[in-house]
Amino acid sequence: MKNPINQSTFKRRMREYQKRPASFVMFILVMLCACVTVLSFVFLVGYLLYKGIPNISWDLFALNYNSENVSLLPSLINTVTITFLALSVSGPTGIFAAIYLVEYAKKGNKLVKLMDLTSETLSGIPSIVYGLFGMLFFVVALDWGFSVLAGACTLAIMVLPLIMRTTQEALRSVPAEFREGAFGLGADKVRVIFKIVLPPAVPGILSGVILAVGRIVGETASLIYTAGTVAEIPESLFSSGRTLAVHMYALFNEGLYIEKAYATGVVLLVIVCAMNLLSNYVAKKLTR
Amino acid sequence: MTNEFIKIKGSIRQRGFNLKKAAALSLICLMFFLSACKGGVSEFEETREITVISREDGSGTRGAFTELFGVYTNMEGHGKVDATTEEAIITNNTAVMLYCVSTNPYAIGYISLGSMSDVVKSANVDGVAASLENVKNGTYKASRPFYIVTTQSLSAPAKDFISFILSDGGQEVVESAGYVPALAGREYTPSVDSGKVVVGGSSSVTPVMEKLKEAYGAYNPGIDVEVQQSDSTTGVSSTLQGICDIGMSSRALTENEKHSGALAETIALDGIVIIVNSINPNDDFTSEQIKGIFLGETAYWDSLEK
Amino acid sequence: MKSKSIKEKVMHIVFLAAAMVCIMAVVLICVFLLANGVPAMGKIGVFNFLLGKTWRPGQDIYGILPMILGSIYVTAGAIIIGVPIGIMTAVFMARYCPKKIYAPLKGAIDLLAGIPSVVYGFFGLVIIVPFVRDTFGGSGNSILTACVLLGFMILPTIIGVCESSLRAVPEEYYQNALALGATHERSIFKVVLPTAKSGVLTGVVLGIGRAIGETMAVIMIAGNQARMPKGLLKGVRTLTANIVMEMGYAADLHREALIATGVVLFVFILLINLCLAAIKKGVEQ
Repeated sequence: MKNPINQSTFKRRMREYQKRPASFVMFILVMLCACVTVLSFVFLVGYLLYKGIPNISWDLFALNYNSENVSLLPSLINTVTITFLALSVSGPTGIFAAIYLVEYAKKGNKLVKLMDLTSETLSGIPSIVYGLFGMLFFVVALDWGFSVLAGACTLAIMVLPLIMRTTQEALRSVPAEFREGAFGLGADKVRVIFKIVLPPAVPGILSGVILAVGRIVGETASLIYTAGTVAEIPESLFSSGRTLAVHMYALFNEGLYIEKAYATGVVLLVIVCAMNLLSNYVAKKLTR
Repeated sequence: MTNEFIKIKGSIRQRGFNLKKAAALSLICLMFFLSACKGGVSEFEETREITVISREDGSGTRGAFTELFGVYTNMEGHGKVDATTEEAIITNNTAVMLYCVSTNPYAIGYISLGSMSDVVKSANVDGVAASLENVKNGTYKASRPFYIVTTQSLSAPAKDFISFILSDGGQEVVESAGYVPALAGREYTPSVDSGKVVVGGSSSVTPVMEKLKEAYGAYNPGIDVEVQQSDSTTGVSSTLQGICDIGMSSRALTENEKHSGALAETIALDGIVIIVNSINPNDDFTSEQIKGIFLGETAYWDSLEK
Repeated sequence: MKSKSIKEKVMHIVFLAAAMVCIMAVVLICVFLLANGVPAMGKIGVFNFLLGKTWRPGQDIYGILPMILGSIYVTAGAIIIGVPIGIMTAVFMARYCPKKIYAPLKGAIDLLAGIPSVVYGFFGLVIIVPFVRDTFGGSGNSILTACVLLGFMILPTIIGVCESSLRAVPEEYYQNALALGATHERSIFKVVLPTAKSGVLTGVVLGIGRAIGETMAVIMIAGNQARMPKGLLKGVRTLTANIVMEMGYAADLHREALIATGVVLFVFILLINLCLAAIKKGVEQ
């Protein structure tokens, strides 16, 4: 025993608990709650896998959707398209906005406070309200109709605060010495930002982006009113297309292909899981 | 701080207890739980409250159902007003309807004949079973037409698609999809060979429309048909607004819609099935009983007038 | 040298513009929602709309008090169930969890956050609804069911935020408490947790936001009756469910009333955010 305060034996702990029953109750409570969380997870995922895996077949990945074979490939392609479009709008915007806030804006600047307020507001808005806004603005006011583009733009606004926040945090965690050193060597500001400050912040930014992807992939409520429910590969950005989550919702809605909906759920789960693993992997790789 | 825990874990491990075994054990417990949940169906108690499940207001299925069974009141200045009991569970989703009825012994609901599934029991209405034949020969009372809705200004490809739907080829598709064809004896000859048709509306009609669209592709591959699923009211209004060429509706047009220039054509007949849980002994209702249940006048299973 | 300063200026403007997009988005959302929703409130009458007890679009009666109360009840219930479990699990993750379990547990909780709400809804429909019906009676599609499901749905949010704020508390605090003779639990709950108060509160508020905004899961299990909430075991319709149920076919005033419902939801979120800001200020002082 090198450190008797920190390392107590099991017996000693039990003796301590005898003196302080309240602590023991708390200990039990903590364990219980952790168990509840784990069990609910196992239950949920187990249920989905149990229902979904027997229904997965290669037919589900056919190129065309029809009523005989409710293929999910078109929706998968739509999901990728919408994710890509949304990120290509919100990624640069969010990162640049964060750069402005961290590197350019002066401390206590009113703009910074305003931005904090707006990004907090944006991240709190329920997705259904985004859906209403997207329908009023992109679909009706800009006359894009139910389209992949309208859906992607709505989602871009939705994930913007997420990307901005994580980027801000990542930039702030870069030590000030880096910048001062570079400035001392005579580099100009833009160069410092892109060559010195951004690279160490990449893991943080990337994890934010991947979180955003996760949110886009799982989104249903706002897409129904903006991207529509057509289950085909869209011909252009102005035609309608459903993502996997919407596909799943639509399958449940008709009530005819519930087994296929579970199978879609499994595919969705695999994608989310893969995104999470990827973000962990990337973060590890880059911080090394 | 995790050190203590490692200690505890160590002391547990000495007793031949490791994480993998614990995981396996909890999995077994879980399986037990799951099976216990499933085996929980008990006997039917007549004294329990009836759980009424209905569709949302704009649904064509609900519109047709209230119309057929008289679940409405006449109100001054508004005409017929849907009077489904406020206690009714509302869902916008056929799957939820099926699940609620299949798991709740005391539930009653209604779905389209085409969506009927084994997990629930279909009830007779006035002694007639809900089946395709009975809808066809007119003995099953609760049937409704599926409509396509158009306006005067119809594009050439849309016209062509409609003439296909109403032809023998199209009506065969309707029949094989499990619905009753509306008419017979028309030939289809392609009139145009390229263009795009947008069809939108009722989620009840959507499955048939998708089958029709696929069959149509074999006759006239040049025309691209897009099917948007929403609900009857949206289908009609977006046809009137020109967003869709053809609207799908599972209820008749309202006076307002007719005034705005909407035209309806019947493409098929569908039955509305009253569904109850498979352990429910009550599976033969009169239309008066059904009306009473959905108006909220009959609240308990044993107060059904026999 | 000059070209450099031009580049600097251009980039400065680009960054500033990006920052402005965010503010623009909020302004746009406000303008479009308000422009479409407020006239309806005017037509119906603000008091009739917010405090009306009946919602009957067929007869042009639009009162959303049942839905407002429904949302509040369901959210409150979700908080009562989700917050203690969430905080306790966060404590477990930060202070108890052995390293070997930590990674899979963290992954599992991240995964929970990513599961689409439709899946949660169906899970609730198949597992929680029958359970509530068999144990407590009623139809099962009730406020209680919605509370339990939402309580689980907000867990990942609460756990994530609480855990990181617990980890941000300096290790010395904990050790000093131990050195003074406190048990492991006492030092966590009396010293570490109070220090992390602000972060824990943020987590709770985010959880409230998620619960109030949840749509697709609630719509499947809550019963959606558009009348005043009648009890824990009776059904209820939330603001979000009201929009999704009826938006599809609504026209004219009905549609505007639904958008106005969205505005009310939006104002709710703004109020919650303001509360959060106020609480944070109070904690810091």
